[in-house]
Formats: sequence, structure tokens, C-alpha cells
Amino acid sequence: MALDERVAELKRYVGFEESDALLLARVHDALASDFPRIAQEFYDKIREHEEAHAVFTGEEQIARLQKSLQAWMHRLLGGTYDAAYYARTERIGEVHVRIGLPQRYMFTAMSLIRLDLQGLVEARAARSEVMATKAALNKAIDMELAVMLEAYSAAHLARIERKQELDRSATELASADVAAMELTSELVVGLDKDGRILVFNSGAEGATGYGREEVIGKPFLETILAEESHAEMSAILAARAVEAKRHRADTFVRTRAGKLRDVRWDIAPTRIGAVAIFLIGHDSTEEKKLGERSRQAEKLAAVGTLAAGLAHEIRNPLNGAQLHVAYLQRMLKRAGATAESLEAVDVVGDEIKRLAVLVTEFLDFARPKPLDKKSTSLFALIERVRGLIAPDAERAKVAVACDLPSKDIEVELDAAKMEQVLLNLARNAIEALAPTGGHVVLRLRRQPRGALVEVEDDGPGLPSPDAPIFDAFFTTKSEGTGLGLAITHRIVTDHGGTIAVESQAGRTIFRVVIPFGADVTEA
Amino acid sequence: MGPLVLVVDDDARTARTLGRMLREDGYEVEVAVDGPAAIARLTRSPVPNILISDLRMATVDGVAVVRYAQSRRPDMRVVVVTGYPHLVQSALDPPPIVLTKPLVYGDLRAALGSAGLA
Repeated sequence: MALDERVAELKRYVGFEESDALLLARVHDALASDFPRIAQEFYDKIREHEEAHAVFTGEEQIARLQKSLQAWMHRLLGGTYDAAYYARTERIGEVHVRIGLPQRYMFTAMSLIRLDLQGLVEARAARSEVMATKAALNKAIDMELAVMLEAYSAAHLARIERKQELDRSATELASADVAAMELTSELVVGLDKDGRILVFNSGAEGATGYGREEVIGKPFLETILAEESHAEMSAILAARAVEAKRHRADTFVRTRAGKLRDVRWDIAPTRIGAVAIFLIGHDSTEEKKLGERSRQAEKLAAVGTLAAGLAHEIRNPLNGAQLHVAYLQRMLKRAGATAESLEAVDVVGDEIKRLAVLVTEFLDFARPKPLDKKSTSLFALIERVRGLIAPDAERAKVAVACDLPSKDIEVELDAAKMEQVLLNLARNAIEALAPTGGHVVLRLRRQPRGALVEVEDDGPGLPSPDAPIFDAFFTTKSEGTGLGLAITHRIVTDHGGTIAVESQAGRTIFRVVIPFGADVTEA
Repeated sequence: MGPLVLVVDDDARTARTLGRMLREDGYEVEVAVDGPAAIARLTRSPVPNILISDLRMATVDGVAVVRYAQSRRPDMRVVVVTGYPHLVQSALDPPPIVLTKPLVYGDLRAALGSAGLA
């Protein structure tokens, strides 16, 4: 309700008429000389009350307020009680609220002023008008109080709303806590004073494999922890009652499936509802595994370095052996040795060469050189490979065809290494077709994110489709080192690409995808 | 008289056998079994036309031998025979011919080409 409506209603209610206004205006001048004294006495009285006095900041303020009080009395007996008048009254009430003046002091203070003014009216108003003027004064003061109280009421309502808002956000926050607890992958477990599970979050469910409905109310130690961790944890749980401090414990949790997991617990005593203790657990099983794996990788790298050093050194005795075999071959030929003798020496020479190839391939595999990437035309690369395998293909009666798209594709790659990849695959295909011959297709296709190179043959296919053909030292060939496809795989993956095989009798396809680098151009 | 070849290898038996084969094929051959001996030989005349050197040797390695040889005779044909071919690339300028151990004698003959042969 608007102020002027409320004032009109108040006036009707207390029966404040225009005649009342006139009476008050008429008595004003007779009373005005006492206003400074009333104001003085009023504030002197307030000084006697600690809580009321506490709202003042100092003497200057009190002096100012005394002036305000005088002005108010002039106003009260001013004879004009319109909306502007009550708007000011309302502001005075707001000031009272703001400075924290308790309502009871406003009432009792008003009572003091009222008594004082009434006494003055009795003494100084015209005899016939004393009663009516006192009544008018009371009505005016009551209306004054009523309007000022509105300010308290409005402030009170605002306070309630604010509190409700706080309560609401506190509730929301509380549910946010619960939600956060459910979001974390850490284990959150709350126990009652007897060590039974009361809180079991989804992190705990995930790590243990138990649903909360299964474990709530059950003893934590026996239900969740592995036997070897019982003693330590039960000591901590017993101790927490006497010393209210946090603990930390590394334990094994036994999952529903019976597996052990490493969990480090932060243990904090609490008093939230029936929860006497909270355990926040961190599952470090995977981290430990990862750590072991990286230690394993380091060990392998060290072994690799050692093996690479050994491989290099093997070349020295091989060199001596090779050279002497060459010398022996020459001598035997010159001496007119038998074919058998010559063949025997040739075998030694071939075996030495095989060892030499193995060493080289092993070093390529164990100590790959960094990629030297350049924008490369795949048309040119495939053409070069076709040229390199042509003699082998002819010998094995294999027809090699290229199936190329209409436009060349350029990719950032290490041309020498990628050539090795395609050569390996093409040579494998040719070997698979020997000695009866067949067809090999080198196919190139553009894909959204890279170039697809396929090497297809119509040979008998891989003996076993699940064989780990890309693993080092896996080979199906009596003469193979078992490193060709492992190196091929490594080069492709070093380029960020993929290699896969699809094989059945009559059709084997190796698919290499080389991703486009940062700048891809279409020639 | 064929071209003069200096064979440097700390594996003395292999160096001698290689020398024997080269001699049979028409070269003059001298053998040094370590770096200091090779450099000592290179200081004397006649300066060899061809150097065939191992790379990893105790005290003075093949790189030092090749550098000294190139300073003595810039047009000397140099072949490095090594188990560590990747170590040669950046170490020597101009780059020599590099053959990986075990050496295939035919490859060596191909690398020497007709250098200095009558």
C-alpha cells in the first residue's frame, strides 16, 4: 500500500480531522520555547540507558539529533499533515532502524515527549481547547509512531527474507556438498561410533565394487579392508576417540571380486549427525602400476642401450670373419677346390651376412634415428618403390600394379623411412607369392585426415590371422630376422599413423594410414 | 706400381688379410694397426693415394687419422669401415665413403672404383 493511502487509513482510524490539525497549529507558538529543553532532557534520559546510548557515536551527533528533535516537534505542531509530512516521518523511522535503535526505546522516548507536551498543552492552551488539543496531540503522535514502526516492520520482513534466502542457499550448498562427494573418484566413507558404515559414496562403490545398500550398517574393517590392514586401522579408529586429530593410513581394500587395491586414507573425527569419523580414501593402485610400468620401461631402455652397444661391437668380429671367408673363397677357387668345399665356405659367408642384417635391423629398431620429415609426393614415393622391387618381382613372376588417385597427395614424412615401410611390405608380398607368382597392387587413396597406402597381394594369406606379426622377433620366414614388420610398425607409428592387416587366402592387404601434418597441400 | 693404400685397423689379422687381397688385385698396401702408427706413416712420403680406416680405435681414432690424411692430401680417397656408420656423418667434412662392418670385399672394390689404378 502506498504511503498516502496508509496515512489516509491511519487518519480515519484514529479520527484525525482537519480540526485537529488546526488545534495543533494554534498551540505551536505557545509551546515552541520549551522545545530545546525537551530535546535536552530527552537525550539526557537516553544517556542513562546503556543500550539506547550505545547507538550514538558521540556528542556532536547528539547535538545534531537534539536539533532534529526540535525540528520534529515544530513539524508535529506545524498543522500540515500531508503525504510529504509522513514521507519525512518514514525517513526518520528508517534512520532509527539503520542506527539500530530498539523499538522499545522509540516507544518509551515518545512517551516522555508526549507527557511533556501534554503538560505544556494543559498549562498553555486555551482552557476550552485543552482536552481537544491533547487528543489531537495524542492522535498525531500515535500516527507518527505508527508510520515509524512501519520502517521497523519493513526491515524485519527484509531480514526474514534474507534469512530464508540464506537458509535456501545453505540447503543448496549442503546438497552441493553431497553432489560433489558423489562426483569425486575418491572414496568417502563415514562411520558411526561403533565403526559401522553410514556414508559410502560412489567413489567407494567404484573402488570396492560394493553398492552402498549392501554395506551401510556393516562394520567397516571386516567389510572393506583386507585382513592385513585390520590391525593398523582398528588402532587408529580406537585412538581417534581420545585424540581428535587427523590420521593417515595406507591400507589394502579387498574388493567384492576379491582383488586388493592400495588405498591411502585420511581419517578425520567429526560429529555430523551420527557420523563419528570420516575416511577419505585415495585409490593409488593404478598409479603404483603406472610407476612399475615406467620403471619397467626404464629398465628395458637400459637393456636396449646395452644391447645396441653389443650389436655394434658384434660387427667387429663379424668383419674379421667375413673378410677371412672372402679370402678363403678366393684361395679355394684358385686351388681348384671341390664344389662341396666352396659351398661350405659360401654357407659361412651367407650366415655372416645374415647376422650382419640382423644387427643392422636390430639397431634400426632399438635405436631409431629421429624422423627427418619433408613434404613428399606419394606418387613419387610409390613409383620409386615400384622401381626398387621390379627386379625381385620379375624373378618371382609377380606383376606389380599401381592404383593411384587422379591427384597426387603430398604428406610431411621421412621419405627414406616411409620408403623402407613400403619396400618391406612390397617385398613381403612378393615373397608370399614366390615361387608361383601372382599380383601385387600398390594402392593410394586420400582420406579426410591422411593418406591411405595399401599393399595387396593375392597370395595364400597369413598362416594365422591372430599371429603377432608386428612384434619384434616374430617371423614366419626361415630366412627372416623377425624385425621387418616391427620396424615397419614403428616407423608408421612414429609418423603418428596406423598400420593394419586384413588377410585371407587369396587376398592380403596391409593398410598404412599416414596422417597429414600441419600443412597439407594437394599437388 | 699400383696406387698406394694404407689400411688402418686395430684388428691386425683382418688388416693383414685385407692387405693381402688388395695386393693380389694390384694395389700397393701398407698396414697400420693403430691410430698413432697410421699418422706416423702419413707423415712420410710417399703419401698414400687411398686410406681405408677403422673408426673406433684406442688412443687415436679413425676421425683423427682421416682428418690428418685429408690435410696431407686433399684428393686422397678415404673409405671408413666401421660398426658405427652413424658416427661418421657429422664428424668429417668432406664426408668419406662409409662402409658398414662386416665389410663385403666386393663392396670395397666398388667403392675404390678405378681410383689410381692403371
